Amino acid sequence: MKQPRKFLKSLPMKLYILLAAILTIVFFSNDFGLVDIQKTAVILAAGVDRTENGFHLTAQIGKPKGSDRSSCGTASVDVEGDGETISDCITEIYSKTGWVPKLIFCDLVLVGEDTAKEEVMGALGYFLRTEYMPDSCSVAVCKGTARDMLKSVSAIEDTTSAALGKLFSDAAKKSGKVMKQSLKKFAVDYYGASESSYLPYITSEPQDCGGESGGSEGPSSSNGGAAGSTGSAGGAGGGEESKPDKKIFKAEQTALFSKGKMTALLDSDQTFTFSLLKGNVEAGSFAVEDHGEPVTVSVLKNKGGADLKVENKPQVTLSVSVKVLLFDRGVPSPVEDLAKKELSKDAVEKSKQLLQEQITKLWNTCVEADCDLFHLTRSLYRSSPKKYAEWKELLLSTADLTVKATVESMQ
Amino acid sequence: MHKISTRQIYFFLAAIAPVGKIMLMPTQLAFFSKNDLLFPAVMNYFLQAGAVFLALLFASKNRTFYDALADTVGKAAAKIIVCLLALFFLYASILPLLEQKLYVQKTLYDTLPSPVTFFPFFLLSAYLCAKPIASLGRLWDILLPVSVVGYAGIMALSVSNADFGALMPVGISGAEGIFGGFAYSLSWFFDSALILALAGKFEYRKGMAWKGMLFYLAGGAAIVFFLAVFYGVYSDIALQQTFAFSEISKYFSGITVLGRIDYFFSFALVFVILFYGSLPLHAGVECVCNAFGDKRYLRIVLSVVVNVGLLVCVYLLNFKLYVTLQTVTKMLFWIFPVFCVLLPALCLLLKRRKHETAA
Repeated sequence: MKQPRKFLKSLPMKLYILLAAILTIVFFSNDFGLVDIQKTAVILAAGVDRTENGFHLTAQIGKPKGSDRSSCGTASVDVEGDGETISDCITEIYSKTGWVPKLIFCDLVLVGEDTAKEEVMGALGYFLRTEYMPDSCSVAVCKGTARDMLKSVSAIEDTTSAALGKLFSDAAKKSGKVMKQSLKKFAVDYYGASESSYLPYITSEPQDCGGESGGSEGPSSSNGGAAGSTGSAGGAGGGEESKPDKKIFKAEQTALFSKGKMTALLDSDQTFTFSLLKGNVEAGSFAVEDHGEPVTVSVLKNKGGADLKVENKPQVTLSVSVKVLLFDRGVPSPVEDLAKKELSKDAVEKSKQLLQEQITKLWNTCVEADCDLFHLTRSLYRSSPKKYAEWKELLLSTADLTVKATVESMQ
Repeated sequence: MHKISTRQIYFFLAAIAPVGKIMLMPTQLAFFSKNDLLFPAVMNYFLQAGAVFLALLFASKNRTFYDALADTVGKAAAKIIVCLLALFFLYASILPLLEQKLYVQKTLYDTLPSPVTFFPFFLLSAYLCAKPIASLGRLWDILLPVSVVGYAGIMALSVSNADFGALMPVGISGAEGIFGGFAYSLSWFFDSALILALAGKFEYRKGMAWKGMLFYLAGGAAIVFFLAVFYGVYSDIALQQTFAFSEISKYFSGITVLGRIDYFFSFALVFVILFYGSLPLHAGVECVCNAFGDKRYLRIVLSVVVNVGLLVCVYLLNFKLYVTLQTVTKMLFWIFPVFCVLLPALCLLLKRRKHETAA
């Protein structure tokens, strides 16, 4: 009698273990939705251009170099797709190549200039919407089309995306020469009360590299036909074929956006001033005159900000405070001057004037472009919705500007 | 009989219950209340803290919910009411289950995985449900540090990226937005009902009701701070972020060098949510077992039936997740205050035991 009773007592646990075993087998029999790496297109950068029928997407896809030990770095292939939406373009890439496009490692979305001038959020919406794309990725506008920019050959990197990615390093941001922007931040600005934002503007110029000396064997992304692909694809090197011009990229200009449209372009000086106003600069430099001679001033510390007061009329105060050192002179100097890094009073005064002029110029550009770059409308909305309703349309055009620039030379 | 200790109840109220509200609730609140999302959360927390106070006060009689009901309305009616409460627990479990399933699908996979990937949850849940509810106490002891470390880590990595100015101007979404957010987030607040199911399973100590309420409010304060950071990080696009807690910390500057270390903290919280998600099921099984005699076989059978039932339910609702979430949080949200606020209040009207009345 004891045996059956013992058996019945332990029956639930036995059944539970059996059920657990069955479910475990079922569980491990599925593929977990994973896609074979051989069938995966790891998109490193995406370029978007508008076409008559929608969009043209250029995806720079990372490609293993296999056992080729003569070169290093990452190889890539550019695959293109067209469609009414970005999603359609992605689907076309999938159908053309058989690769499942994955955006999880996509660190850059490049938008062509004409697309940016028309309406940029239509192009960026997909990247914001998809769960499988980091919204911390960089976004930039480029001169010409994003397709041409991504398909050009970098003089310094194996892939264009890697070369462009380097433009947005933290060091570049601290130099004040580049205004990096992320997808998330751009979207927050776009949907916010100011409806204004900025994106770095990328240009390229040919670089005469001379003779190759070791390292990379040239571009891995070369122009060649790929089955089913409208774009370029290919492996490393191009043999004796005519090689495309190698290019270097710059992002010293900044595109201004108002209501999702690119409305103006800041030059490199204005971009640097904008960086100073944002308080980004920690190791940047700018040139001024000291008693008629050129000197370069290094910014060690920087604070900046925009303040808005609305009483009878909006009053905007843009302020910059920099702590600087003499960095270099364009003329021979006595040895005492080399040791002493203090800036003369004349140079400090000139620096101050220069900053005031640049800030005023930047403000005027923003007013002309109807771009609330300093989010003054948002500040007003947050502090007083009533005044916001009263001034939101006229804030930029009617505001009185006060510029405060402080330059302090350090020893 | 082994009972849950007072300390463990406090741990649950302060550190386990709040974690169940960080998955989809922040997005839901941002959708309805926008930058005023803190107000509905605070209102819900105060309402629920009051209900927790009442439920703990009821628990001071050291009787189970069924025993107290049976003394007042008779055994047959008590069984019906307890079964209704158990059904409510099954209903309440849908939201945390679907949240977890959605999280698994969206965050852990880069394509839509087979529903099978979520099924092992039911193995764990069935095992937990088969254990007496008093065994949860030890679990809460273990989960407390996991929850605290997960929350602190996420907050430490996120707070520097938050622009708290985004919470201004206060009250801009109006009464409709604030009360809409309040009503449509009620479905995440069923902790007082869980305390009712635990009544008689823990030793009531003097002052436990108000202390428990304060612990619950402390957990609520942590969630309100979380919501503030969440909205500060995402501002106007907050309503587009599905799983706030695993997203807000990724903008920390060190992540670019160290990699996604924030996942360590996110997964700590997911681990806690895993057990929190099975709690309503556990409470439902416990209620029925109390009413129909605490037999081992009954508990096991109920545990299997409930979990297999929900497994089938989750499988069938695989492509109707959003519709289900809408139904639970928007159309049928009013069920929650009935069982989680009204019921604890009515419990105080239940008859005392005969010897208590005589005394």
